[in-house]
Amino acid sequence: MPDKYIHGTIDGIKISVLKETTILSASKLLDINIPTLCHHEGLVPDGNCRLCTVEIGSKLAVSCLYPLREDNFTVNTKSPKVHEARRFVLSLLIARAPKAPRIIALAKEYGALPSNRFLPEADNCIRCGKCVRICKINRTEAISLVGRGPERIVTGPFLKPPEDCIGCLACGLNCPTGNIPFREKDGIRSIWGRNFNLVPCPECGTALFTKEELDFHKEFAADYCPTCRRKKIAGDLLNCQNLLVRSN
Amino acid sequence: MRLDSPAGLKDFKESLLAAPQGQSIWVCGGPGCLAAGSQVVFEALQYEAFKRELGHKVAYRVELTGCLGLCERGPLVECSPQGFFYEKVSSNDAPEIIDKTLMKGILVERLVTNPQKPNKEHLPFYEPQNRLIMRRFGQSSPGNFDDYIRTGGYEALCLAFELGPIKTSKRVEDSGLRGRGGGGFPTGLKWQALREAKGSPRYILANGDEGDPGAFMNRSLMEGDPFSIIEGLTIGAFALGASQGYIYVRHEYPLSVLRLKNAIEEAEDRGLLGKDILGTGFDFHLLIVEGGGAFVCGESTALMASIEGREGIPRVKYVRSTEAGLWEKPTILQNVETWANIPLIVLNGPDWFKSIGAPQNPGTKVFSLVGEVRNTGLVELPLGTKVSTLVNQVGGGVHKGRKFKAIQSGGPSGGCLPESALSLPLDFDNLTKAGAMMGSGGLIIMDDLSCMVDVARYFTGFLVEESCGKCAPCREALPLFHKILMDLTTGKGQKGDTDFLESQAKTLSTTALCGLGQSAANPILSTIKYFRQEYLEHEEGYCRSGRCQDMYFPKIDSEACKACGACQKSCPTSAIEGKKKEPRLVLVSKCISCGSCLKSCPFCAISAQRRPNA
Repeated sequence: MPDKYIHGTIDGIKISVLKETTILSASKLLDINIPTLCHHEGLVPDGNCRLCTVEIGSKLAVSCLYPLREDNFTVNTKSPKVHEARRFVLSLLIARAPKAPRIIALAKEYGALPSNRFLPEADNCIRCGKCVRICKINRTEAISLVGRGPERIVTGPFLKPPEDCIGCLACGLNCPTGNIPFREKDGIRSIWGRNFNLVPCPECGTALFTKEELDFHKEFAADYCPTCRRKKIAGDLLNCQNLLVRSN
Repeated sequence: MRLDSPAGLKDFKESLLAAPQGQSIWVCGGPGCLAAGSQVVFEALQYEAFKRELGHKVAYRVELTGCLGLCERGPLVECSPQGFFYEKVSSNDAPEIIDKTLMKGILVERLVTNPQKPNKEHLPFYEPQNRLIMRRFGQSSPGNFDDYIRTGGYEALCLAFELGPIKTSKRVEDSGLRGRGGGGFPTGLKWQALREAKGSPRYILANGDEGDPGAFMNRSLMEGDPFSIIEGLTIGAFALGASQGYIYVRHEYPLSVLRLKNAIEEAEDRGLLGKDILGTGFDFHLLIVEGGGAFVCGESTALMASIEGREGIPRVKYVRSTEAGLWEKPTILQNVETWANIPLIVLNGPDWFKSIGAPQNPGTKVFSLVGEVRNTGLVELPLGTKVSTLVNQVGGGVHKGRKFKAIQSGGPSGGCLPESALSLPLDFDNLTKAGAMMGSGGLIIMDDLSCMVDVARYFTGFLVEESCGKCAPCREALPLFHKILMDLTTGKGQKGDTDFLESQAKTLSTTALCGLGQSAANPILSTIKYFRQEYLEHEEGYCRSGRCQDMYFPKIDSEACKACGACQKSCPTSAIEGKKKEPRLVLVSKCISCGSCLKSCPFCAISAQRRPNA
């Protein structure tokens, strides 16, 4: 249906998209790079890092959430206004996370410097809540954002190591500042102040999952690691084929 | 008794009007008067009346009522039907009031300002006012259903049932009413959007989460006339096809919660809420949700999240609540004062409503007038009233004859306007254009002893604590701004701070996620806009208002000094010297620049001078 499509330009390039497409998705179609921190394809956009700000018409809007609804839209992702907004946000975030490579690179790109007047506790966390949202969508809901304003932090219930954590690493691997430390040593995975025993693959011995993780995702869990599983399934198939050939 | 038809309601009203009213004494039960001890006065009056065994002899009433307005002169007592208006009543006055006014209907002269004109309408404080929302304050007991019906309550709902949903909604849409919660969004557009929205169920919400420092108008309304809000919501639900409503009230207003709860129960018992209202088959259920008291929960999306049982944080609002609001269903959210306007509009029609106030800003608005004016209190003015009328007539001028410096409107999201604002009409558009905001109606008047940098620091500090912390600009920038303002007000300011603040604050307002964050820069931006010189002086370490410690020396003007000695008494370090009948002098070595003398001088003879090093 043609009326479901709307037309406009992004950075001067003509584009037709489905109604309700977000600016960010539309820009991706054109390979226009919009920096994001709190965004993840698999999550409901939250729009809290404000880095993906673009100009639509003459207004600023966050592109990860703004649905394109009207025809003849004009989006500008690189205007001076956008640049200034991103620089402002980055100058604040670099003070929080001065050691995070992503933030350093972006701050350099936009010429953002932290203020010399007031430095918040440089705890490397930008409170984007990506970890919390990922944990929630995985149905574990082990961690959450607590507190208000500048005191907002990510933690387990009652500021203690989260009891419900299954050690899946989804939070740690997706953190934009790499601030959720985890390590694996001698078959033990440590994250959020907890230690998890890794279950080795009975075939090859590679340890990929924690016991808690396998218990939690019982319906999907397999006995073998993905590589061995693939091998086994392929082997089973071959056996089946052999059987079929033989019976023919 | 359950009322089961509009005709039954009419009969009930007539039976109430037919009963003899007798002498009534209304003791103000508004927040200001209660704080001043009106509960004690009320109990003393009741006791005195009881002691005289009046109940057997005459019909009389001694009751608490909604806020009478002139909080400065509380506790207040109004007597009907004469309309005597007693100020600063104490429990010692109770016997006289009972003996004279209640028993004989004569005036207690010493309790009124002008014995010739003892009614409140003659006071300059009340003269420019048009009390519509507050019309029942001083005429009815809050939460008394009979009083509400007697004063014309639920007539609008009956009329709405007669008109049908579309015509009722049209009345509101044509009235030009604008949201009383702050932004001044046209209510009609919201109603139209919800009427045309697809999806059910729909929700009707009232915002009673008043959180601005120094504001108490929503609170007074909820405490003083809970039924008018409930009636407004019922009309809204009927016109817009909703059957469930919520009133969001912060739990710091326990009396509001209690009065609303009682009123809802009473309305349900009388058949005006719940199932089959007035026998018309229309159902509407109303619940109260108590908020935890976070300032940000006054923001619409955060409020809805809070009602849903989630953390009260805003979401990005590119889709309107009338499309997807509470539980992603079509929702209308309005301030309680807006809802209280609805019965008036439906009953009297849009043309009547438009005849009050200014062209694009019809109707009245309740303001809480506080700060350095003679008469502080709750005022209801037609929109478009000049600020000077508010300050000089209603407010009675600046306290102690000091000079007017600024008016702060709109709470932490609003701004400070200078003397030139006195000629502005008080309405949504003019205030926004000037760089402030109507907000929910809190007005703070400041005199020349208020330091504008300090005011910005105070509000920014408030916002740092109230920021929810969701989006980066608001969470991270406000503490930075607060630190710079802290430095400026403690003499640690640096050159260029003003420019830095101004440019960064502007960016904050374009990048923040919600309304709170976007307007969080307003206190800073408006004070820099109008009082830039003061900021620049603070960079150099001088505070001309004598507010920021160690940033000035008090100097006594020997000609203006009348040698009263008030400053000498107020000085905590005995730094002021001088003999009787001689102008006083400040000893710079002993002075800690606390500002006590500046405030104490009745002749404004003390000024803040630049320190030699600054």
